[in-house]
Amino acid sequence: MEPDVSIETSSMIRVAVVPIAGIPPQLFRDYAAMLLRHHTVSLSSISSFYTEHQKSPFSNQPWESGSLRFKFMLGGSPPSPWEDFQSNRKILALIGICHCPSSPDLRSVAAQFAAASKTYSSALVYRCFAFCPGDSQLEEESKLVLFPPADRQTQEFHLQTMVQDIAASLLMEFEKYVLQAESGGTILKTPLDSQATLSSEEVIKAKKRRLGRAQKTIGDYCLLAGSPVDANAHYSTALELARLTGDFFWYAGAMEGSVCALLIDRMGQKDPVLEEEVKYRYKSVIMHYKKSFIQENAQRVSPLSFELEATLKLARFLCRRELAKEVVDLLTAAADGAKSLIDASDRLIVYVEIARLFGLLGYQRKAAFFSRQVAQLYLQQDNKLAAISAMQVLAMTTKAYRVQSRASSEPFNDAGQTHVDGGKMHHHSIVSLFESQWSTLQMVVLREILLSAVRSGDPLAAWSAAARLLRSYYPLITPAGQNGLASALANSAERLPLGTRCGDPALPFIRLHSFPLRSSQMDIVKRNPAREDWWVGSAPTGPFIYTPFSKGESSHSNKQELIWVVGEAVQVLVELANPCGFEVMVDSIYLSVHSENFDAFPVSVNLPPNSSKVITLSGIPTKEGPVAIPGCVVHCFGVITEHFFKDVENQLIGATQGLVLSDPFRSCGAAKLKSVYVPNISVVPPLPLLVSHVVGGDGSVILYEGEIRDVWISLANASTVPVEQAHISLSGKNQDSVVSIDSETLKSALPLNPGAEVMIPVTLKAWQLGMMDLDAAGSKGVPTGKQVKDGSSPMLLIHYAGPVTKSGDAETVSVLPPGRRLVIPLNVCVLRGLSFVKARLLSMEIPAHVGETYPKLVQVKSEGAEKLDSTERQADRFVKIDPYRGSWGLRFLELELSNRTDIIFETSVSVDMEIPDDKESLPLCNCAEFGSPKTRIDRDYTARVLIPLEDFKLPVLDGSFLVKGSQTNGTARGRTSSFSEKSIKAELDASIKNLISRIKVRWQSGRNSSGELNIKDAIQDALQTSVMDVLLPDPLTFGFRLAKTSSDNSVKLDSPKNSDMETNYHVSGGSIVAHEMTPMEVLVRNNTKEIIKIGLNVICKDVAGENCVEGDKATVLWEGVLTGISMEVPPLQEIRHIFSLYFLIPGEYTMLAAAVIDDANEVLRARARANSLDEPIFCRGPPFHVQVNGTS
Amino acid sequence: MIVCVAVVGHQNNPLYIQSFTEADDALKLHHIVHCSLDVVDERVNNPKRSGPTLNETYLGVLYPTENYKVYGYLTNTKVKLIMVTTDLDVRDADVRNFYRGFHAAYVNAVSNPFHVPGKKITSKTFAEKVSTIVKSFG
Repeated sequence: MEPDVSIETSSMIRVAVVPIAGIPPQLFRDYAAMLLRHHTVSLSSISSFYTEHQKSPFSNQPWESGSLRFKFMLGGSPPSPWEDFQSNRKILALIGICHCPSSPDLRSVAAQFAAASKTYSSALVYRCFAFCPGDSQLEEESKLVLFPPADRQTQEFHLQTMVQDIAASLLMEFEKYVLQAESGGTILKTPLDSQATLSSEEVIKAKKRRLGRAQKTIGDYCLLAGSPVDANAHYSTALELARLTGDFFWYAGAMEGSVCALLIDRMGQKDPVLEEEVKYRYKSVIMHYKKSFIQENAQRVSPLSFELEATLKLARFLCRRELAKEVVDLLTAAADGAKSLIDASDRLIVYVEIARLFGLLGYQRKAAFFSRQVAQLYLQQDNKLAAISAMQVLAMTTKAYRVQSRASSEPFNDAGQTHVDGGKMHHHSIVSLFESQWSTLQMVVLREILLSAVRSGDPLAAWSAAARLLRSYYPLITPAGQNGLASALANSAERLPLGTRCGDPALPFIRLHSFPLRSSQMDIVKRNPAREDWWVGSAPTGPFIYTPFSKGESSHSNKQELIWVVGEAVQVLVELANPCGFEVMVDSIYLSVHSENFDAFPVSVNLPPNSSKVITLSGIPTKEGPVAIPGCVVHCFGVITEHFFKDVENQLIGATQGLVLSDPFRSCGAAKLKSVYVPNISVVPPLPLLVSHVVGGDGSVILYEGEIRDVWISLANASTVPVEQAHISLSGKNQDSVVSIDSETLKSALPLNPGAEVMIPVTLKAWQLGMMDLDAAGSKGVPTGKQVKDGSSPMLLIHYAGPVTKSGDAETVSVLPPGRRLVIPLNVCVLRGLSFVKARLLSMEIPAHVGETYPKLVQVKSEGAEKLDSTERQADRFVKIDPYRGSWGLRFLELELSNRTDIIFETSVSVDMEIPDDKESLPLCNCAEFGSPKTRIDRDYTARVLIPLEDFKLPVLDGSFLVKGSQTNGTARGRTSSFSEKSIKAELDASIKNLISRIKVRWQSGRNSSGELNIKDAIQDALQTSVMDVLLPDPLTFGFRLAKTSSDNSVKLDSPKNSDMETNYHVSGGSIVAHEMTPMEVLVRNNTKEIIKIGLNVICKDVAGENCVEGDKATVLWEGVLTGISMEVPPLQEIRHIFSLYFLIPGEYTMLAAAVIDDANEVLRARARANSLDEPIFCRGPPFHVQVNGTS
Repeated sequence: MIVCVAVVGHQNNPLYIQSFTEADDALKLHHIVHCSLDVVDERVNNPKRSGPTLNETYLGVLYPTENYKVYGYLTNTKVKLIMVTTDLDVRDADVRNFYRGFHAAYVNAVSNPFHVPGKKITSKTFAEKVSTIVKSFG
């Protein structure tokens, strides 16, 4: 059996080409390649070398169109036992090739060639070609054919001539042989013929056969000589004779020859008729080979190989898509027959041929199947060369089984285009994913490759096979098997030189995790060349994450682009997974960048069994330009491999579709990751880089609520480029806590050269903690710096940029280098300082002394006097209670403050004095400032601070306040009050606010922290509840005084001025003596706008609180009416009632006036909060003190 | 006797492959099924041959190999149903009948809303049904 057989093989002259005298193998291959090109020599070209010595037996030789074919056997081949049967198996010529410079002694070359010639006894022509002879060698006389040194073209021409010469010589030899054979005498035998001595009958038969065989051989030679017609004639004779003698084997041989002759004759034509003819004849060839099977020889020799060869020849002849079925049938038959072949190498050849033919037919899987059979046969041979062959054959099958090595299949074609087709997969990858499910077959193939590679001593191939096996089929391999593969990898790596690269990645699986955002310290901002404030629009401004106005801008494209700066380290996060049961030690892993403008830093990682890890890979861009990161370079298991992200991505996609066995990341418990979009990365030239730190430590500044403090921020230029522009702005929450930024300092420091530093003062005021914060702090017990994390701190944004133009590069002016943004979070940790517990409005009634003047009441309505009064009091630092003036309705705002911190606070309360700008609504209160006294609040203590708010009632109890818009609410009386309260509130609020805004609680703690307590809301809440009582006057007010004269009974107090004058007049006198009639008057003022009918009662109580006017033990006698005085008080008027008291006992008495209002209207009811109509409305005045002196 | 049945997806990915022999020849049968895809591909891609049998899902004998005969059936979603039998002399009608049942079983299996198209068929019911059909064959 021989490989590469076809029907035409019978017409080829076999020429052995052997190296002579130590020619270097590479040169031999070169020279042989030159020779191989002359496999066909046309008859017309050799006619000049041909001389007809005698009449040629090839009478029908087509000198015009015919040709001789050569089959060069490089390295020669041993003689075949079948060469008598098929003359084309004979080595008919021998060509030696030698290289003169490597073997200077031409004589020894000639000797060696002669020695080589002896092994080729069947050869008819011997030539030895000597290339590149020296000048001395050229002169030497020798039998060698010398090719003088010349250019290749000349040499080739020279060679062609020599081959034509050989062809002519061969032709002449063939003629000689044929003439000799025709005359008879040669005995042609095959191994098939019986070796035993022939019986007489058989001798006769053998003689007859000899003729036929001779004819067949002559036919062979005719065919070799390129004369198919002559050959055909001889073959016909041979067929006839062989048929008669029953020499089936030779019959089949002659038939084969005749088919070959037919094909040579009809060179190039392929009509169906010819095809049918060939098919028909070959069927008969195969049949006759089958017939020639002789049982007794079966153990030794069998014509089976010829039968198979004929089958394969026919299959090759027919091998076309359209005839696939027939070819498949033939090949299947051949494969079946191959099993009974004795010689293993024959079987190997049959399988090789079958595999090739299936491959030609497009049956890749079948081809792979038979290739695997071939490999198995090779592996049976158990030697290194066979193992290498097995490995190579298996390598060819990997494509059909979709387990090919990446190095062989697609040499780095996807390295550059990772970005181009980002999301979508190659068709190829999809198909390979689908077909990768024949895992049973694939694993077998890979195992065999591994085995053969180990046997053939090819560590790299072994490594690659083990890597592919482990990476693709780890879920199907037991832990023990995985360990075995790991050790196979390690063993192979030991035999490999350090730093060997392999195309097939092993473990771990690597996928891109994310590109971490540049730290806010180094943000890059594109500059808008059209604007002075180029940073605007680069980052979202305002409270909204999304604004429709910024949508149209270039923010979209910003997201896809990543800008790296030359010389600044960047980081990429990748996730590694080791789904196997052994520990993977990655000696080094770094980003693989093919654009050569990136220095990647290797790191080493240890991956425990069944684990995944996210690691940071970093590097430094070195040159401007785009950067593509297709994967990682990994040094693991002793070999360097490149892992492409896209492979894993495809695999993960496959895993989701159920095409791939498993997702290595998921099986390791890694979180599910959406596929990462790989942005376009570009590297820009160096940019300035500001580095900031807060002077005194970058930790957060701890401030108590309301504290004000200066912070110094130092900015340094850490790059090689000066900062030429800078702008400071604020962002984040609590922006108002930044009181001032000295941006002028920064401006004046520009340009900030590399290495320079500037300090900027920033004034901060701590904000108020919200309720949530308070709760959180309260529940945790310790107010830690947690608040910083939640981003409640404001941030300073500094946009800065380097020089606009690069030196000497005028054209790039339009392309501005980007600017940068530095975000300095002002880490303010606000601690709860003094906490406000509650505010209460306390009212105090200090009884006034009954004198000759009325107490200063609200109704005293002189603006001028009021102002005078207030300014007068402004000077006072303390509350002074004028005993004669009385201070009923004096109110205090009590603030309860507690100190939960561990420091001591000192607080001071002040009410800022301002001239009220609204005249009416806010009657000015008694605003005293309490600047100097400080209240010290120790830790864990609570203190109360009083703020006096003197009487600031409205002058008139106007129905409009209460019953606004409810004149017709007779039906809904019950709700009147609530309505009216609501309506009044709005009007009151303004006045309350005004008041509140002037109350300030300042605190100080230690030497350098001080601040202000923000308790406005609390005060407001406190005031709001009792707003009615605070602001609304009672409907009636009462006052007592000593009557001047008893005569003027009912003088109306017409003007306040009078009253003032009277006050001044009577201020010194007015002491009451016991046992003396004391005229007194009670004054009732109506604060409403309607007449009020009342029944007035005056009561006098002694110190013990007993009524001393009535009863048995009355100590006071009276004149006039004290009870049930009914009177009508006109609106906004006063009425006096005069009476006299006679005190029996000196001491202190209290006068009280009270009234029952008759026929109260709605306003009064609302004010009194009366619920029902029948309820009597009482009105009670403040107590007045009367000091009665003894008579002594 | 049927020794092996297989369902192969339209991208030539195996969806179900089951052998019914005692011997440990799963690998060999895998190879046979895998190789038979060549023939199916060839029939599908060769329009001249498939012309008259365009709507025929039954592909007939794909190829005889060793002691086996391989039959093919192509659904209109390009899913291949492959059957390997040791009976060298089988009536075509029987095979067609077998495929009718096999196809129905496959359709039922993939009609399961929890079945992901393209994934291997893991349904036990399908496996039982197929083995019943296989046992009743011939």
